[in-house]
Amino acid sequence: MIHIVTPANEHNYREEMEQVWRLRHDVFVVEKGWTDLTRPDGREIDQFDTPHAIHFLAIEEERVVGYSRLLPTTRPHLLSDVMPQLCEGERPSGYDTWEWTRQAVARSHRARGKAVNPVSLALLSGIVEWGMGNGVRQLVLQMPTLYLLHVVQLHFRARPLGLPHTISGEDIIAATAEFDERTLARLRTVRGDGASVLAPTYSYLAA
Amino acid sequence: MTRKSLDQTLGFLRSLDRTASADDVARLLVSELSDLGVAHVMAGTVPTRGTPSRQQNGHVLLNTFPSDWGRRYLARGYAFKDPTVRRLCTNTTPFAWSEVRDSYPDDPVARRVMDEAADFQLRDGITIPLMTLDGQIAGFSVSGERLVIDPADRAMLHLIATYAFGHLLLMRGQGASAVAANLAPREREALQWAAEGKTDWEIGTVMGISTHGVDFHLRSARSKLGSANRTQAVAVALRRGLII
Repeated sequence: MIHIVTPANEHNYREEMEQVWRLRHDVFVVEKGWTDLTRPDGREIDQFDTPHAIHFLAIEEERVVGYSRLLPTTRPHLLSDVMPQLCEGERPSGYDTWEWTRQAVARSHRARGKAVNPVSLALLSGIVEWGMGNGVRQLVLQMPTLYLLHVVQLHFRARPLGLPHTISGEDIIAATAEFDERTLARLRTVRGDGASVLAPTYSYLAA
Repeated sequence: MTRKSLDQTLGFLRSLDRTASADDVARLLVSELSDLGVAHVMAGTVPTRGTPSRQQNGHVLLNTFPSDWGRRYLARGYAFKDPTVRRLCTNTTPFAWSEVRDSYPDDPVARRVMDEAADFQLRDGITIPLMTLDGQIAGFSVSGERLVIDPADRAMLHLIATYAFGHLLLMRGQGASAVAANLAPREREALQWAAEGKTDWEIGTVMGISTHGVDFHLRSARSKLGSANRTQAVAVALRRGLII
């Protein structure tokens, strides 16, 4: 199940958010070697983890096995402040446009072959479900160019914001990815499960 | 410089949206890339070693390479010797054929494949490695007598290849479902435009037929899909992946 954590419900997710910071450290600092994110306490938290960020947690048996973060493009985010060179034209910004970052899946839950793992698909489904219920039309992505084909295959309408750049040895592209009910239908087909991935106790809506 | 390449890429994507078959995509690619010296394009997933030559054709999504070369390539099992295919399986960065020509000095057949390709006007080339959602390794190659490609062109080519491949995969999925539903190509096309919110008159204009013709195709599609009205037909077609 995908749990959405915001300031409205974070008091219910203290322990899980600690797991998030450690998972992010394991994936981004240790594995990917983004050493400028290193903090002495081994928790990867950056300047964008403000009350405006929305955290998506994939939780299985009380353990956080996957994570994604959405940032509003109406405030400072990675494309505006960290990697502006990836966007050659006008930077997309607005209440219907959120930036997807820090996609991470615990090593134990990655697929054995090269296919996209179910936890990533569930996280993305959760983001699209949340987006469709909250007037969000598109995501801003910065990703290895190799993954662009997956985005297209999942019926996102993806448009490049610039040509690919090499960043820390990876070929990276920024793109917008529009989605609608077709995207959600496609995600559900690929996952082989037509049900919502969002956890039923969704106190964010009630708050 | 790169802004121009980005604009050209975006223009290509708009044209790609209007293609209805793999042949359309091939024609669009060759005309779009002819300034770079590209004469031929080929795209497909990599068959696992030992796949019989008959089935290797099923891995090809697009191919304008000379047919004599294609027959020779299949008959001699070159797919498993070709240095450009072997490189695909180990590396995800786009590469020029000149970089891999001599990568397998212990295997004389590898070099022979490259030399024989040159005899078919496939002297120079670039291959873009790709990977599908279900983890299949795939490649997209462009070739010609002599390519003239700067780094911005190469980046553009990377994007164009990725999008064309994605589009071909979506069309293939749709095609398979459309055959299952027994939808005629014009019925599918009319439904696709209806899903975009177009009126009968607008659909008639883009398809080059009368409003009556549009009504005829949509009624026929409706009955094949067992739907009560147009809205339901569009919904059923979307759900079954007949249109995108």
